[in-house]
Amino acid sequence: MLIRLTGGEIIDPVNGQSGKRDLWIQDGFIVDKPEGERADKTYDLSGCIVMAGAIDIHSHIGGGNVNTARLLLPEQHAAHLPRPADTPLSNAGWSTFTTGCLYAQMGFTTVVEPAMSPYNALHTHLELADIPIIDKATLTILGNDDFLLSLIRDKTSSDMMDDYVAWTLASTHSLGVKVINAGAAAAFKENVRAFSFDDVVPAYGVSSRKIVKTLQASVNRLGVPHPLHVHANNLGIAGSADTASVTIDATEGVPLHLAHLQFYGYGTEGKRKFSSEAARLAEQVNNNPDVTIDVGQVMFGQTVTISSDITRQFLAIGNANPKKTVIIDGDGNGGGIVPYRYKKNFYGSLQWAVGLELFLLIDDPWRVFFTTDHPNGAPFTSYPELFELLMSRDARDAKTAELNASALELTTLGSLRREYTLDEIAIMTRAAPARLLGLKDRGHLGSGAIADIAVYRRGRDIAGMFREAALVFKNGELVVENGKVVHLRWGKALRLKPTPDKAMVRRMQAYHEERYGLSLDWFTFPDSAIQRDEPFAEVSCSS
Amino acid sequence: MSVAWVGSQAVPLSDAIQHAAKLLASSRCPVISFDADVHGTRSVIALAEKLGAAYDHVRGRELLNEIALFTQYGGMFTTPGEVRRRADLIVVIGDIPASHHDMILSWASAPADLTGKQSRSWFHLKANRPSGDTGMNKHALKVGAVSLSAEGASLGAAVALLRAGLAGKRTAIPLANLDSLKTALADAEFPVFVFSGNPEEPTSLAMLQGLVSDLNRSKRASSLFLPSDDAAWGAVLTSVWMTGFPPRTGFPNGAPVYDPQRWDIQRMLREKEADLHLWISASDGASLSKRGKIPLVALARTRNPVRSAAVTICVAAPGIDHDSVIYSSRIGTFRAERASAPSDMPEIAGVIRQLSEALPC
Repeated sequence: MLIRLTGGEIIDPVNGQSGKRDLWIQDGFIVDKPEGERADKTYDLSGCIVMAGAIDIHSHIGGGNVNTARLLLPEQHAAHLPRPADTPLSNAGWSTFTTGCLYAQMGFTTVVEPAMSPYNALHTHLELADIPIIDKATLTILGNDDFLLSLIRDKTSSDMMDDYVAWTLASTHSLGVKVINAGAAAAFKENVRAFSFDDVVPAYGVSSRKIVKTLQASVNRLGVPHPLHVHANNLGIAGSADTASVTIDATEGVPLHLAHLQFYGYGTEGKRKFSSEAARLAEQVNNNPDVTIDVGQVMFGQTVTISSDITRQFLAIGNANPKKTVIIDGDGNGGGIVPYRYKKNFYGSLQWAVGLELFLLIDDPWRVFFTTDHPNGAPFTSYPELFELLMSRDARDAKTAELNASALELTTLGSLRREYTLDEIAIMTRAAPARLLGLKDRGHLGSGAIADIAVYRRGRDIAGMFREAALVFKNGELVVENGKVVHLRWGKALRLKPTPDKAMVRRMQAYHEERYGLSLDWFTFPDSAIQRDEPFAEVSCSS
Repeated sequence: MSVAWVGSQAVPLSDAIQHAAKLLASSRCPVISFDADVHGTRSVIALAEKLGAAYDHVRGRELLNEIALFTQYGGMFTTPGEVRRRADLIVVIGDIPASHHDMILSWASAPADLTGKQSRSWFHLKANRPSGDTGMNKHALKVGAVSLSAEGASLGAAVALLRAGLAGKRTAIPLANLDSLKTALADAEFPVFVFSGNPEEPTSLAMLQGLVSDLNRSKRASSLFLPSDDAAWGAVLTSVWMTGFPPRTGFPNGAPVYDPQRWDIQRMLREKEADLHLWISASDGASLSKRGKIPLVALARTRNPVRSAAVTICVAAPGIDHDSVIYSSRIGTFRAERASAPSDMPEIAGVIRQLSEALPC
């Protein structure tokens, strides 16, 4: 079927062709205008803007910890049914089904679950397979697991380290590697409750820095497109900007992605010893081309924090709202579920402002990524309001007037007049994520790209425009019309598929038999276990 | 060999599907009881949504307190792998279902290598009154567990006494061997309390979590939850990601609604709220009792029609007749399992899919 989209304003910074032109779709791909052929279906997009489908690089949408959060908080889901506007997590997208639908309605077509525990890979992929419409991908967590820490302690060769990372990527069917508070979860099991970049895991004598540098180097050598995805130490505490700063300095010429930087944007100034260091961190990012960041913007209201940073989550138990939590000492990282309500008080206002400062002070939209660290800073359904804050000074000023003035005085937000353009939005939410993840087939509207296309009706209401896409195509199929899902389909999970070294497979077999008393096939699974047609799609490594 | 019956009459599978679909379509309040692997559960919930039906696991009564621990309290938990490799002190709480005994015994011969200790201490907290024994008492003796109990105390009371005793509070009844446990705890680096659901005293689960929380003020401790039935817990997790809710969920107006009282299938059958019962289980030991005159459609691993069922369809057992994905307490998550004796019997998910397709749109 040949589809023609005509009359729309194309926003496609990758191909440098923003402006009015037709787009043609055939067999799921964007194609050049076919000579001598007539479209089977034509859509008149006059008054609309047309972008590639959006890509979310960091959103906790599935897996053991996410599901435990659902189990912990059934009332957060039930409450919104009769009173959708006024209740907690009113649009959170709590089940797998609603997650896919709500993302698609906003024009998102690919979403990355950034924290998959290796031993929970099957569970995670089962959930992702039940998220309709969109494509998914996962990042596998390493850095607190006994096998890796032992390799580092024993000063094993870089080849063997690479073999282990490659085996983990292959056996968990993931797209990249994430490290979360490197070493802290292992140290927490030894009752260590504060852990910084140069602290050492007692049982292994290995520092957090060493773990990060080891994984960063291995990911780079293996040609994994996405740089090591780092959740740094000391998340959320006053003074965490220093931790982020030393982590950024540790890139040392090798790419590294720093997750949800907003949660590290805090200094110790002011009466409450809690202030913004966003300007300092933004300058550091601007001056270091090896580092990319996503923001993890805070928005106000009820949410639930879901993190494999068990140390951080354990320390946050006292802030739980409502007062119930789950902490899991898992194999490797484990995790914690702590419900939380962001209020418009001093702390909430400062966190909100720090996120916006980072968005507005980091110059290059190719290196700053649009996230709320769903659901940690806010549910992903708050994205439309966040787009508006980035694109409209007036919207920011109006919101600022509702917030705590003494907190905002400790930030530079009031002096920032930048407004994101549509081109910058398209880079930050489409082109740059595709490049960061190594997804050459999406993030742009050039010939040969997958026909993942979001069409928005241009209007003064920016949030409204992004909340309900006029049309969304996924792989060339029309899935959303006027903000409503009109067609359900099953997307794929994108994965690398490195060939595991045979000696490493044997070593992992022996390790699991000796340490867990179980054969390796208890911890791995074939594609057929997902029971969907072609549940995965492969992405190439760069070497 | 027949795999489908209408009443007692053997029929082709497609005829049985059509007949069952007609019954389901004409029902005003269908209810579903099921016991299936992950893929069977996915299909059951999708069918329930299409029908506007309510569903529960066949062991829903046992699941109630286990689910409530999470929905109402939360807690601190660890994995079986961490218990095996790190726990230098294990406290078994009450009776543990027999299906977990082999794993518990295997810990006794495995070193806690992540703490560098070759052996670990064992304690067993138990009720001091007659109760059903799955064999846990014998196993506790075998691993040399020190018994903790108090005169006349139920398990729930014993947990409360243990928490109070460890917090240094005076109690009306002494807990035997409490001082031994205190000494062992002082020396332990990663003590773990191993527990299962306590259907008689649901608040004891929250009390145990309070105890673990108390200990974590100054040292590390955790707990290992061993569900009463692995397959049932897998169904809980699957239901939670598909709908946001555990079983005892219904779709009265299209959207899922969780209500453990309202969607208690046995109550709905007993009080004749339901007018059709779809019962699904391939477990050999599953017992099915027809409720009064409410029509029954049974999907069971059977060579014969289920007595009094309007329709019976033979279904395969996951993990035996076909490959499956199940929750396993050995690893604390899902695993892919190869069929141990592959057969041609129809899978639950396949039959449910055909049923769904046979329903009028």
